[in-house]
Amino acid sequence: MIEVKNLEKSFGDLHVLKGITETIEDNQVVCVIGPSGSGKSTFLRCINRLEVPTGGTVFLDGEEIKAECINKVREKMGMVFQNFNLFPHMSVLNNVTVAPIKVKKIPKEQAEKEAMALLRKVGLEEKAHVLPSSLSGGQKQRVAIARALAMNPEVMLFDEPTSALDPEMVGEVLEVMRKLADEGMTMIIVTHEMGFAREVADHVLFMDEGVIVEQGAPEELFGNPQNPRTQAFLSMVL
Amino acid sequence: MAIKGIPATVGVSLIAVALGIILGLGLALMKMSKHKLLKIPATVYIEIVRGTPMIVQALIMAYGVPYLIQNQGAEFRWPDLVIPAIMVCGLNSAAYVAEIIRAGLQAVDSGQMEAARSLGMPHAMAMRLIIIPQAFRIILPSLGNEFVSLIKETAILSYVGVVEILRRAALWNASEFETFPAYIGAAVCYLMLTIPLSKLVAYVERRMATK
Repeated sequence: MIEVKNLEKSFGDLHVLKGITETIEDNQVVCVIGPSGSGKSTFLRCINRLEVPTGGTVFLDGEEIKAECINKVREKMGMVFQNFNLFPHMSVLNNVTVAPIKVKKIPKEQAEKEAMALLRKVGLEEKAHVLPSSLSGGQKQRVAIARALAMNPEVMLFDEPTSALDPEMVGEVLEVMRKLADEGMTMIIVTHEMGFAREVADHVLFMDEGVIVEQGAPEELFGNPQNPRTQAFLSMVL
Repeated sequence: MAIKGIPATVGVSLIAVALGIILGLGLALMKMSKHKLLKIPATVYIEIVRGTPMIVQALIMAYGVPYLIQNQGAEFRWPDLVIPAIMVCGLNSAAYVAEIIRAGLQAVDSGQMEAARSLGMPHAMAMRLIIIPQAFRIILPSLGNEFVSLIKETAILSYVGVVEILRRAALWNASEFETFPAYIGAAVCYLMLTIPLSKLVAYVERRMATK
């Protein structure tokens, strides 16, 4: 369970997050939607301290996430980036195994076995020994998901995972994410894919100008938005 | 003859470049550090070394340092002038290599560090496994060029008594009065080293670009 209490983040004079309080239960899929610059990605990145919050606290399973214990916490929080950020000098397989072997000290053979199972899961078993540069965008993102899953995280954070993809590749990535959601993975997804959010999310947060303006079950939020800003945003994107 | 100086020139350059890479990596990491205690000494060192001619540095190391130590009452002489020569070239090269390495490390996409850290890697491990190997590919051509210029700059060491290519040529000229052939010979010797090396650097650069 992730509890966020009064989270704030400023970049100089720019106040990006203005006090976010939110609880994400285990096995829940939460989608965060909202216009560009609303602070969605910053919110996500503050949870695993890729951005250091300027105020407020985040708890994982009741324990406060602090700078001192951040590496341990990150082992439990997988993250998938918009631009994949695969390690270009390593084969697909090594991308997936490097953290389990070096961080978790899992024996190489075991890590590779588990990595192959994950690659099978994302449909890329046959690409295990190629370099990321020879993969399509959709394939890269599926490898990135496998890489994050290889640490056996309790939570997965997705930062606009399909925004850098060509349209024909969005489906294959969403398919993998849907599978994860069905398996009960706790997920926080920043996305512009409204159809996907509506279908997969248990809970949707609409953010604008650094605050959560409205939240609720997808049927309610998409079907009957209450706040005028939510209504305006949805009328533009749907 | 100048050609007999090639082993000395190549030897000094090779050891100096190795020294330069090791020290340069340290300096680059120090300069990029957030801690002032690391950052400031590295910055000052790089500024001083890059801001003074290597011949001055060589004279200080070869003659100034022994003089200073002797003035303190201790007996000190360089057993061989090649030692301060190598040290000066290495220490000099380190400052230039540090800037090359720093530029290379900063050229690696910041998302790489974020991805590594998001997997639970500590900063040092992420540098070692993810950032430095990628920076190395970016750095390699510049490093090769640095080696080429170092070979040429070792000519300065003839002034502090190292018998390398230029010194051999000068000595030969002194005994045979063949001034033009002596120095042309020296030039040809340097070209014999620098042209193949530049070609190699260019080749490696092309190989890297296609990857």
